[in-house]
Amino acid sequence: MNKFFLFLVMLPSALWRSLGADIGQLRAILNTKLLLDDRNPMTIGRMNKPKKERKYGTLINIFASCALGFVYMFPLIVVKDRVFSLTIYFSFLLTVITLMLITDFSNVLFDFRDKYILFPRPVNDRTLVLARLLHVFIYLFRIVLPMSLPTWIMLGYLDGWKSAALFPLPLIMMVFMALFIVNSVYLVVLKLAKPEKFKDIMNYFQVITSVIFFTSVYLMPRFFNPEHPHESSILNYAWLKFVPSYWLGVCWSWIGYPVELAGTSFLSILAIVFPLLCMYVLVKKLAPEFSRKISGIDAVETGEVAAQGTKRVPAGSFYKKLAYAFNKSDDAKAGFMIAWLQTSRSRSFRMRVYPTFAYIPVYFFYLLTSRKTSIGITFSNLGNGHMNLLLLYMSSFVLISAMAYLTMSDQYKAGWIYYSTPVEKPGRIMIGAFKALWVKYFLPFFICIAAFVLYVWGMPSVIDIILALLNVTLFVACMARISYRHLPFSIMEQAKQGGSRILKSFIVMIIPTMLGAGHYLSLDLWWLKLLFFVLSAILLWLVLDSYSNTSWDNMLKAETE
Amino acid sequence: MQPIITIRQLNKQYGEKIVLRDINLNIYPGQIIGYIGPNGAGKSTTVKILTGIIQDYSGEVMVFGKNLRDNVLEVKSKVGYIPEVAELYDLLTPREYLAFIGKLYHLPDDVIEDRSRKMLDSFSLLGNIDQRMDSFSKGMRQKVLITSGLLHKPSIVIMDEPLSGLDANAVILIKELLQALKQEGKTIFYCSHMMDVVEKVSDRIVLINNGSIMADGTIDELRQNSTDSLEQIFQRLTSGGNQVQKADDLAAAMNDRV
Repeated sequence: MNKFFLFLVMLPSALWRSLGADIGQLRAILNTKLLLDDRNPMTIGRMNKPKKERKYGTLINIFASCALGFVYMFPLIVVKDRVFSLTIYFSFLLTVITLMLITDFSNVLFDFRDKYILFPRPVNDRTLVLARLLHVFIYLFRIVLPMSLPTWIMLGYLDGWKSAALFPLPLIMMVFMALFIVNSVYLVVLKLAKPEKFKDIMNYFQVITSVIFFTSVYLMPRFFNPEHPHESSILNYAWLKFVPSYWLGVCWSWIGYPVELAGTSFLSILAIVFPLLCMYVLVKKLAPEFSRKISGIDAVETGEVAAQGTKRVPAGSFYKKLAYAFNKSDDAKAGFMIAWLQTSRSRSFRMRVYPTFAYIPVYFFYLLTSRKTSIGITFSNLGNGHMNLLLLYMSSFVLISAMAYLTMSDQYKAGWIYYSTPVEKPGRIMIGAFKALWVKYFLPFFICIAAFVLYVWGMPSVIDIILALLNVTLFVACMARISYRHLPFSIMEQAKQGGSRILKSFIVMIIPTMLGAGHYLSLDLWWLKLLFFVLSAILLWLVLDSYSNTSWDNMLKAETE
Repeated sequence: MQPIITIRQLNKQYGEKIVLRDINLNIYPGQIIGYIGPNGAGKSTTVKILTGIIQDYSGEVMVFGKNLRDNVLEVKSKVGYIPEVAELYDLLTPREYLAFIGKLYHLPDDVIEDRSRKMLDSFSLLGNIDQRMDSFSKGMRQKVLITSGLLHKPSIVIMDEPLSGLDANAVILIKELLQALKQEGKTIFYCSHMMDVVEKVSDRIVLINNGSIMADGTIDELRQNSTDSLEQIFQRLTSGGNQVQKADDLAAAMNDRV
């Protein structure tokens, strides 16, 4: 597969050469990087066990991407105007892959190994920048291809072969667009920020952009009239002509589809010219500065060598007091402490988890306002419904997201220490870390939500708040027991899994909703609520006990699965 | 005297590759053992077995008279391991990292704090105790790593290239530390490529090559009445040919380039 993609990206060799790249070096760098991706080293915990073939991993990822592709296909079916429907489609896809690029691929884009391996060699800046871009392009295309497959087939079915034949060109251009948009923003940040501050600024930029993109995904459906989608017209949204996804959609005018926004057919040229122009500017004009700035930044998590030299971290003992209050065993205390400290300082953790705090209110707002009534009326009637349950259960996303990234780290090799110290059961460390995340991230957030619920729904909702707190903890504890039986910060982050991580987080949203549905059914029956409470409490105790008793064998088994 | 570590018929292989073959060794308390060998000889594998990191081996390893396989936690709590590469959670400060490690060894907080301060002070790192380690040089990290390996007062200290990245003064400090630990009756298992240091500090030298022990004895026993240095003995026992000739060939190979 890699060979095919390498062949694909090296097809316009003449173009790469004209941009100033050394073709031989470019091919060699890409070939090696792709080879390295396939041979990611194993974690320490797995060193004694033969690596189990992840036979179905790729297939599952392809299937998940394909399933998501069915959702994005929706505008094609409901909106008659082909240019408009494709504009919506490309907007969705462009948003999703830009988000992926920002959250999951920045490590690929800023591969700091280059500083030691490639920078000392006689490789010019343009070759280096182009190699980075094409490397990420291959990553993205691997995800975008299955994701766009349903649309491709549907286009062929609805419009015939011409439309299907045209589809790959705007699709490729769209991937390039996402790549250059993100790169250009990074370059601006690089230009404005000091190298040692770049990583922190970029980190917060990533958090904010993720929130903006997430918000925009949920506002996009407003583009078309939800009651009469077939009647939605692009004429109401003339400003779309300034949006790159419209330029991609208007390419269909080449094969005879009508363009409602008069005089905008020529914009289809931009679909081709814009990415190429971006690439020219990026590779030809900005590449030397890009490389120079990159060389000023140190390895992934270590950006502040000069700046932090004299900076002191207050030797606070608050987290230690909490570690002692919530844990009995020393191993659990150690797990609590490392999770508490490391999660505050790891940029990759912050980037992945902090946006979730914003996603929840945004998603809740979206669910509230998608009704047919106005926002004012919706809010004034809020206390009469049972949306409080939805909000309370949605708070679990924070803990789920924190748990998902607790085990991963750029410094996973430092996890050797767990194996050389007298740790009887790794589960004790895991439970300590779980409690740290619960106390540090989930509880304060849940209290905020509970305060809002109390304000809107009044004192009677206290019991619901307590039951939801219990159920959410139970649900996440079950997930941890099943999926996250790994030691904190001991597993390597793999960019290849980036796409599936986002997919998983979307899929996982459904499960706590089901648990909430049970709670909903017991709303009017106090005895059922009490029974639910007792059962949940017993189950939680059992699950946490089982999690904390995870043995080395259990853990190694979970890692090889 | 009873050996503190006894290794009998130790074998280890990864797939088809045999890494250790029939290793037999008795190590006595208070000894400094220099464990040397070329790259890939099996030194690190031996070390990882002795520290309990690798547990799927064949043969018998007894530590403190107890079978390592059956008493791995007890052994780990009495062994201090200092690996070659200073992989540590460097987003933490030395104080935080040592508190974390200390807890894994079940040490009380005041003991961790007291020992950390004293040991870091000896390494002239006390002023950096509350700074994040991502701003540290390789040598500073190595000093924190050494501190973390000795924090629980181990009876056996296993060092894998402990001088890696240290400056000349720190190297002198470590050499003195080895002697001081020996005086306290601790057993030190010292892996290194630095032959001059091994020759000076070791009571006994074990040379391993291709997974087998090639030589075992004091430096005088290894010399066998010659005046050879340890480096020359090492070369004689492990090299596949004349090193001078190999260097000449290497230089010549570069001359052939177009």
